[in-house]
Amino acid sequence: MANIAKKILLGAAGVLALTAAASAEPVELNVWTIDRQADPGYNYVMADEFTKLHPDIKINIKRVEFADWANEIMRAVATGTTPDVAYVDNPNTPFLSAKGALLDLTPYIAESKIIDTSKIFPGPLSTVTWDGKIYGLPRGSNTIALYYNADMFKAAGLDPEKPPQTWAELYETAKKLTDPAKNVYGLAFSANSNEEGTFQFLPWAQSAGADFDHIADDGAVRALEVWQKILDEKLASPDTLIRGQYDSMATFNAQNAAMGISGPWELPRMSKDAKFDFRVALLPIEKAGGNRASALGEGNNVIFAKSEHPKEAFQYLEYMYSQMPRVWNEFGFVPSYPVEAKDPKWPAQYAVFAESMKNARARGPSPDWAKISKAISTAIQQALTHQTDAKTALASAQTTIDGILKK
Amino acid sequence: MSALLRSLRDGRGFDGALALLALAYLFVFSAFPLIYNIALSFQEVDMFSLGDLIRPFVGLANYRTLMAAPEFWSVMGNTALFVGLCIVFQLGIGFGLALFFQQDFIGASYLRGLFLAAWIIPALVAGAIWKWIFAGDFGVLNYMLMSLGIVDERIFWLSTPAISLYSVVIANIWLGIPFNMILLSVGLAGIPKDMYEAAALDGAGAWGRFWHMTLPMMRSTLGAVVSLGIIFTLQQFDLFASLTQGGPANSSNVAQYWSWQLSFQNYDIATGSAVSVLMLGFVIVVAFLYVRSTREEHQA
Repeated sequence: MANIAKKILLGAAGVLALTAAASAEPVELNVWTIDRQADPGYNYVMADEFTKLHPDIKINIKRVEFADWANEIMRAVATGTTPDVAYVDNPNTPFLSAKGALLDLTPYIAESKIIDTSKIFPGPLSTVTWDGKIYGLPRGSNTIALYYNADMFKAAGLDPEKPPQTWAELYETAKKLTDPAKNVYGLAFSANSNEEGTFQFLPWAQSAGADFDHIADDGAVRALEVWQKILDEKLASPDTLIRGQYDSMATFNAQNAAMGISGPWELPRMSKDAKFDFRVALLPIEKAGGNRASALGEGNNVIFAKSEHPKEAFQYLEYMYSQMPRVWNEFGFVPSYPVEAKDPKWPAQYAVFAESMKNARARGPSPDWAKISKAISTAIQQALTHQTDAKTALASAQTTIDGILKK
Repeated sequence: MSALLRSLRDGRGFDGALALLALAYLFVFSAFPLIYNIALSFQEVDMFSLGDLIRPFVGLANYRTLMAAPEFWSVMGNTALFVGLCIVFQLGIGFGLALFFQQDFIGASYLRGLFLAAWIIPALVAGAIWKWIFAGDFGVLNYMLMSLGIVDERIFWLSTPAISLYSVVIANIWLGIPFNMILLSVGLAGIPKDMYEAAALDGAGAWGRFWHMTLPMMRSTLGAVVSLGIIFTLQQFDLFASLTQGGPANSSNVAQYWSWQLSFQNYDIATGSAVSVLMLGFVIVVAFLYVRSTREEHQA
């Protein structure tokens, strides 16, 4: 009861302060991010601009390696030394919000003039929502699509205006483009044993009617069988099993693969490395005219529940949220709510990614996503290495996932 | 009071204080983490109770979850295979090289120094280099084997389930040879030269001298190298992280990497601790055997 009262008070205080002039007390915000300073890192740019607008607020950024993120956050939560604001990968957000580690932003948003959650795309919105409350704001999104080398299409007598639309077409096209003599595979993607494998597989399963909580459905089995066929016939490198997306796409940029499945984060590097006409198409689906699905990537800005400056932290979140129209050009994210994109870089690719955002589905959301994801990527690997067939592998993943969801 | 002070400055009290310091150090940096780890494996843990000492006790539930995992036995088997193969080859090759460089030839000590390069390179860097060597499509090893005509088709060293573990074994053998060689060289240098001369005069051949003199004299060194080797091999994490991540389909997963995956990828810290407790039990057995073997050495 006291807690609720406190929250209401805090919320009210936040609202009052937002409308009032900037307070005189200098405030320091600790921000954790995975961005690199040189990249140019999203949080570094945002913090710089924000502190110019609010000279009374100082922001200390700590960079955490993506691989160490869970480790660092766990230690911080356990020892009560959480930062005020942090970046959280979207499938990990429910894990934190369900356990009460994050500040409930709902009362702040209710008073905000900048944020209207009803405009946020349903995919990203679902990752920050838990039990009807909002625990974070998407900083941008991404999703995967099919990149292809138009020059190789022409050389193989294929029409680069007609990229493959269905799984069958993708398979046929990959087969035509594969040329072992020249070290060229038809397709590059990632089926490795961690989150990336699941991230790449889910949209295939979803567009065929399955999803993480009914992953043993026939649609998912058929999707996995297509992956099996592509790997068995060496239309993609066997190293697909141990390579992440970034390494896989490096082979596309080096023209060792004619097509590649990945996200918009590839574009800055691709425009430097790829000396050919690269284009993007929507991720192929099982049958023409069927449902589309696409995996939702990127993450959210959150405030930790223990923050001593929730009001200023929220101002920072608001500022970042308001900068959504720039995220594509400057950081390679797709906006998480509809914005008017002025003069986007790589306009054709932007159009495809912005279109596939409409179908982007969040992974989960579930506080136990990490375990669910592991079950799926294990099944993928078992089937692709023919330890079991696709149906058995996915059925055993389903049993594991049922156990997790029932808890 | 002054008696106590005097005793502390010079006497039994001083001895006691020194011992206490060492004990305190051992407790804080060795015993406490070990006990904490063992306790974790019997409790229900999530990241929000990581800082507490009192957590719900669940008995053997974590161990049961672990044993029920379909990959449990294959991971344990892989671990045994990994440790066994690495030790046999690291020791064999390391010993061979140590004996070789023990011979008197020009540049012997410089060449021996060169072998240390592998020991100096951080395992993560070594992992990156081996990844490049083992890469399937554009790897150095495949290029060599194919240009020499030894194989016709590329071998996917890291992504073929039947091979991936052995690839990590090869990389780890390379990484461990210098350590074995240097320790064994030190042991060899400790054997008096005149013993060999006397034996040669008495008509003992090279093989006889090795079998009846070198090996028995090296017993405690070999014991130490094998025990430390087992512990270092069980610690090998970086190579797995950089080469295969335990994949594909857990075909190259070993206990130490699995423990990390459970704790920090699945956030299942209790089960991850249970794996490390199992490993700890094994290491204690190894340490016990080591202590016994060296104790008998002293008595002899």
